[in-house]
Amino acid sequence: MTTAVQVKKLTMVQAVTDAMRTMLEEDESVLVLGEDVGQNGGVFRATDGLFEQFGEERVIDTPLAESGIVGTSIGLAVNGFRPIAEMQFLGFIYPAFNQLMTHATRMRQRSMGRYTVPMVIRAPYGAGVKAPEIHSDSVEALFTHIPGLKVVIPSNAYDAKGLLIASIEDPDPVLFLEPMRCYRSSRTEVPDEKYSIELGKASYVKEGSDVTVMTWGAMVPDTVKAVEKFEKEHNATCDVIDLRTLYPLDKDTIAESVKKTGRVVIIHEAPSAGGVNGDIISVINDTSFFYLKAPIQKVTGFDTPVPVYSLEQEYLPSSEKIISALNTTLSY
Amino acid sequence: MDVKLHDIGEGMHEAEILHYFVKKGEPVKNDAPLVEIQTDKMTAELTAPSDGIIGDIKFELGEVVEVGTTILTITTDQKEPSPNLEPTVKASPSEASGGVATQPATRTLDRWLPMNRVMASPHTRRVARENDVNIKNVTGTGRAGRVLDEDIFAYIEAQTQAAPVAEEKSHQDEVVIQNSKEVDETVQTIPFKGRRKQIAKKMTQSLYTAPHVTHFDEVDMTELLHLKKQLKEGTTRQPGISISVAAFFIKALQLSLEEFPIFNSKLDEEKEEIYLESSYNIGLATGTDKGLIVPVLKNVENLSLVEIHEQMKTLTKKATENKLSGQDLRGGTFTISNVGPMGSTGATPILNYPETGLMAFHKTKKMPVVINDEIVIREMMNVTLTFDHRVADGSQSIAFTNKFIDYIEKPHLMLVELT
Repeated sequence: MTTAVQVKKLTMVQAVTDAMRTMLEEDESVLVLGEDVGQNGGVFRATDGLFEQFGEERVIDTPLAESGIVGTSIGLAVNGFRPIAEMQFLGFIYPAFNQLMTHATRMRQRSMGRYTVPMVIRAPYGAGVKAPEIHSDSVEALFTHIPGLKVVIPSNAYDAKGLLIASIEDPDPVLFLEPMRCYRSSRTEVPDEKYSIELGKASYVKEGSDVTVMTWGAMVPDTVKAVEKFEKEHNATCDVIDLRTLYPLDKDTIAESVKKTGRVVIIHEAPSAGGVNGDIISVINDTSFFYLKAPIQKVTGFDTPVPVYSLEQEYLPSSEKIISALNTTLSY
Repeated sequence: MDVKLHDIGEGMHEAEILHYFVKKGEPVKNDAPLVEIQTDKMTAELTAPSDGIIGDIKFELGEVVEVGTTILTITTDQKEPSPNLEPTVKASPSEASGGVATQPATRTLDRWLPMNRVMASPHTRRVARENDVNIKNVTGTGRAGRVLDEDIFAYIEAQTQAAPVAEEKSHQDEVVIQNSKEVDETVQTIPFKGRRKQIAKKMTQSLYTAPHVTHFDEVDMTELLHLKKQLKEGTTRQPGISISVAAFFIKALQLSLEEFPIFNSKLDEEKEEIYLESSYNIGLATGTDKGLIVPVLKNVENLSLVEIHEQMKTLTKKATENKLSGQDLRGGTFTISNVGPMGSTGATPILNYPETGLMAFHKTKKMPVVINDEIVIREMMNVTLTFDHRVADGSQSIAFTNKFIDYIEKPHLMLVELT
C-alpha cells in the first residue's frame, strides 16, 4: 500500500508533529495553541519547529490557564478557525472540563446545527513514564460520557498521524489522547503525504479465532506481547483489537469479533469502575450476547489514583495478569 | 421438624406442589421460601418455620397434597454448615469433565441457583435453540454440571441414533422428520390440574346442581354512553371523570337487587332455606392467562360509581397479575360477566354456584331501532341473566332484568336511589 509513497520511520510524537504540520500547511484556518507550544516546542516537543515555520500568529503560546485555552479554542472554532489546543497533561484538563461540558459539545445542538465547534484538544496521558502525581491519570472514561465529544487514542505513529488529521478535519470537538508511553517507545513507517484514518473505526492488530482481546493506547503493545506469549503456550489464537476511538465505539468490529470467538478480554490501564470496559460490555450485550461462551474478563488498573512512580508497574495491567485472564476465559 | 401444608386461610383442603426452592441437605434460614403451592385459586409460598437443614422432601412436583400433610422436614438440631462453601474451583476442567465434577462444587453452586436452572453459556444456549434441543434434557459435563456445546452435540447424536432416521439428509428424510414432528404434536398434552381443574370441577357442580335458565333481553345504551361522555368532558370549572360502563352496570344491578333480593341469595338445600344476603358483593368474572377467576367487589351498596370503578380496576389488575388474596375471592353474592368488549352477542353462562344469579353483558353496537314509529339508530346491547330456577322464576327474572334495563336506559333514575 505504501510502496508508491515516501515513507519515514517516525516515533509517535514525531507523527503527531507531522500531522499538525501537514494540516497547518494545507489549511490556513488551523492554529496551534497551548502553554509553551511556541518557541519551546511543547512539553514533549510535539510542536517542535512549528513556531519557526508558521509564526506566532498560528502557533500561539498561552497563559497557564486550561479553561482559557479551551474557551479560546471554542471561540476560534465557532468563528471559522480549526484550533488544536494542547494540554500539557490530561490530568491538567480538569479546569477546562466546564468549557467542554457546557459549551464545546453543546454548541451544535444549542444553535440547532448552525454552529459547530471544529477543535481538537491534544493531551498526553497515562502511566509508565514515572511522572509525578496527576500527570499519569488515565481518565478517558470521564470524557466518553460527554455527548458530542469524540475521544480518540492512537497506539502507534501511523495511526497517530492519520487519526489526528481526521480529528482536525472533524466538524465537532475531538479529545485526542496521546499515550506518553508510546511517544518514543517505537517507530512506525509513516507516509510523508497527508492521509486520514476514519474516526470510530477500530483496527485488528492481529487476527485469531479463540479469544477477542480489546484494548487501546499504551496497552496495545503490552497486550500484543502478552498475547503472543499466551498463544505460544496454548494451542489458541487471539483477535487483538485496538479500539482507537473510545467514543463512538466501533460496535460492528466488536460484534464481528465476539461472534467469531465467543470469548472476550478487555484490557485498559484506567480504573475499572465506570470505565470504558463497561461500555464495551454493553455493546457486546446488545450485539453478540448469544455468542458468548464465557463471562467477559477484564484487566484494568486499580480503582485508585495512579500511585507514585515506584509502584506504577504494579498498577498497570501486567503480562501475567493478561495471560491469567486469557487462561480463565479459555478454560471456562 | 415437620413442615405441613396448613390451611392458608380460604378453607382449602388440598394444594398442588409447584416448585421447591430448596433441596435435601441444604441449610435454610427462618422465613426463607421453601415451596410454592397452587391452591384452587392462587399460588402461595410456604416459608421455613426456623433455621435448619432440609431433611426429607416427601412429594414430587405436581403432586396434590392434603392440608395437614407433611411436605418436608427440617432438622434443627444440627449445627449450621461450616461456611466453606466457596465454589471449589480446584478441579481443572479436564478433571471435572465427563460428569465427575466434585460434589462440593455441585452442591455449593446449586445452593445459589433455583431448582431446574441449567447452567450454560449464552453461546451454548443458542446452539441448543438452533438445534431444537431442550437444554434441560441435556446432561452437562462441564464444571459443576455446566452444559457445554459438546454436550448438546452429543445429545443430538444420541437422539439421532435412537431415532430410525437415515443418516444423510434427503427429501425422504425431511419427510420422515416432518412426520415425526406431526406425531409429536398430536400427542401433546396439557396437564389437567390446578386452576383449570378447579374451574372444571366448579362448573360441573354448578351445572348439575342448579337447574339453569338463561333469560335474554336487549338494552338501549345510548343515554348511558351519552352520560359517560358528559362526565368525561367535565366543565370549564371541573375536570372530567372517566367511569367505565361496567361500574354503571354494577350500580344498576345493586339497586335492582335491592328490589329483587331473591337474585342476591343462596339456597341451602340441607337446611331447606333460601338465604337472602345482606350485602351486595359483586363477583367480576375475569379471564386470565391461567384461566377464569372471580374476584369480588364488596359492599357495592356503600360505594359511589367512582369508587366502584377504581376498586374494580384494582381487582382486575391483581387478577391478571395472579396476586389476588383469598380475601379478594371470597364472599360473592352475585356475579357479572362483562364479555362485550371481547365481542360476544349472546351466551348461556353457568352460575357461580351457589349464587342464584349471573348477568352477562355483551357487545354494544349501533342498531336500527323503532322508536315512536320511526327507525332511529341507537347503541344496543344484549344482556343475559342466568338464574337458578329452584330459587327464582322466569317472571321474576324478567321483572328484575327490566328494572336493570330501566336504570341503564334512563341513568338519571339511579340518581334518586344513590345514598
